[in-house]
Amino acid sequence: MCLAIPMRITAIDGFNARCEAKGVFRDVSLFMMQDEPPAIGDFVMVHVGYAIQKMTEAEARSTWELLDQVLEETPN
Amino acid sequence: MNTESEARQWLERIRALGIDRPVRLMNVCGGHERSITQAGLRGALPANVELIPGPGCPVCVCPEEDVYQAIRLALDEKVTLVAFGDMLRVPVNVPKGEVRSLVEAQATGADVRPIASPTEARRVALEHPDRQVVFFAAGFETTTAPVAAMIAEGIPDNLSILLSGRLTWPAVAMLLDSETPGFDCLVAPGHVSTVMGPEEWQFVIDRHGLPTAVAGFTPESLLAAFYSVLRQLQSGERFLDNCYREVAHAGGNATARRLLDATLDVVDANWRGIGVIPRSGYALKPAHAGADARLRFPDHTDPDRRRAGQMPPGCDCARVVLGRLYPNQCRLYGSACTPRTPVGPCMVSDEGACRIWWAGGVREAAPVAVTDPI
Ligand code: SF4
Repeated sequence: MCLAIPMRITAIDGFNARCEAKGVFRDVSLFMMQDEPPAIGDFVMVHVGYAIQKMTEAEARSTWELLDQVLEETPN
Repeated sequence: MNTESEARQWLERIRALGIDRPVRLMNVCGGHERSITQAGLRGALPANVELIPGPGCPVCVCPEEDVYQAIRLALDEKVTLVAFGDMLRVPVNVPKGEVRSLVEAQATGADVRPIASPTEARRVALEHPDRQVVFFAAGFETTTAPVAAMIAEGIPDNLSILLSGRLTWPAVAMLLDSETPGFDCLVAPGHVSTVMGPEEWQFVIDRHGLPTAVAGFTPESLLAAFYSVLRQLQSGERFLDNCYREVAHAGGNATARRLLDATLDVVDANWRGIGVIPRSGYALKPAHAGADARLRFPDHTDPDRRRAGQMPPGCDCARVVLGRLYPNQCRLYGSACTPRTPVGPCMVSDEGACRIWWAGGVREAAPVAVTDPI
């Protein structure tokens, strides 16, 4: 549940953003980013469908690497 | 520098500190515990450095009565019950043959649906205006803030919230105020700090003098935090270190904190198997009472129900959550209790230490006790 995932913003419509992570697209709420509104192309940390903070591309990439490993190793 | 060599460097630095006595580091985040276990960090550290998983699983401490109430709402009030997937398999204490989880309620025909976001709760309510929809929301600050955002943004009349939101730091404060905290250093949670601000953990240093560092979720960030607290321990220096600066900024997420303040009150709250911790929970403010499922529907919890509020018989989850016991020190771990047949919430939730250890390949009972068991 608590797994937060970095995503890149590809489009913004009000408080809704279309975001992408490794080819997967999701709608993400920017409602909690009102003090620091992100722009298209920015990376954000997404938790339960809400962006909780901006982040750098480098930080996003190292988190993606980690998630790949976790997903590989978690038997379902 | 690639991440692997960065991790190796941190390990070398930790070894070079020459820690010559047993030291216990506690983390309070299921995400941290997962990274630690998956990356095998326990085995990589010097043998006298213990990593103890602490209160990092909101599903595990969600009151049994709340889960029971959610089940009754789905069955008796015939609402559409939506909840994060983890909650669906959490068992309550009822006689054999009775419905003991939301998933079992679903199997008997109740409308129970897993969701991944508060926005989905709103969508389900909008799509079914003729139905009462209840969002059973358990979570720590990182998850409760989006629930607050959803409430602030406005929700349909047919949606209400059964809130079991909890704050992390009061559980740590309770441990530190106890006679036997059970740890020497704190690895503070990265995403709770992202939302609430790292400063929330300053009290651990100011009031208790324990080295503390906020960590992210990569092995490098966690190892940097381990190094920081161990070095503080050796040198006698004390400061709140932040090893997740890229994401956990000073002051946290200002919007999120404002939304929490605007919609929710901080109240005394019950933690399953542990008891009431002062000012450790969230409740809807009176202005949003109309969206409070606790007020909209009758209270079905029966305090006379056998083992109401407790962990399942034989399950040591509460002590696992408090870092008093490693998962594989529970007598049921791996025998009666596995992810396929979970006995307690710590084996159900993705953030439960029992499940994380099992997924990480720990199949045996503990050879050693947590130092200084309580
Ligand atoms: S192994 Fe199962 S029964 Fe034991 S503490 Fe963990 S969840 Fe509870």
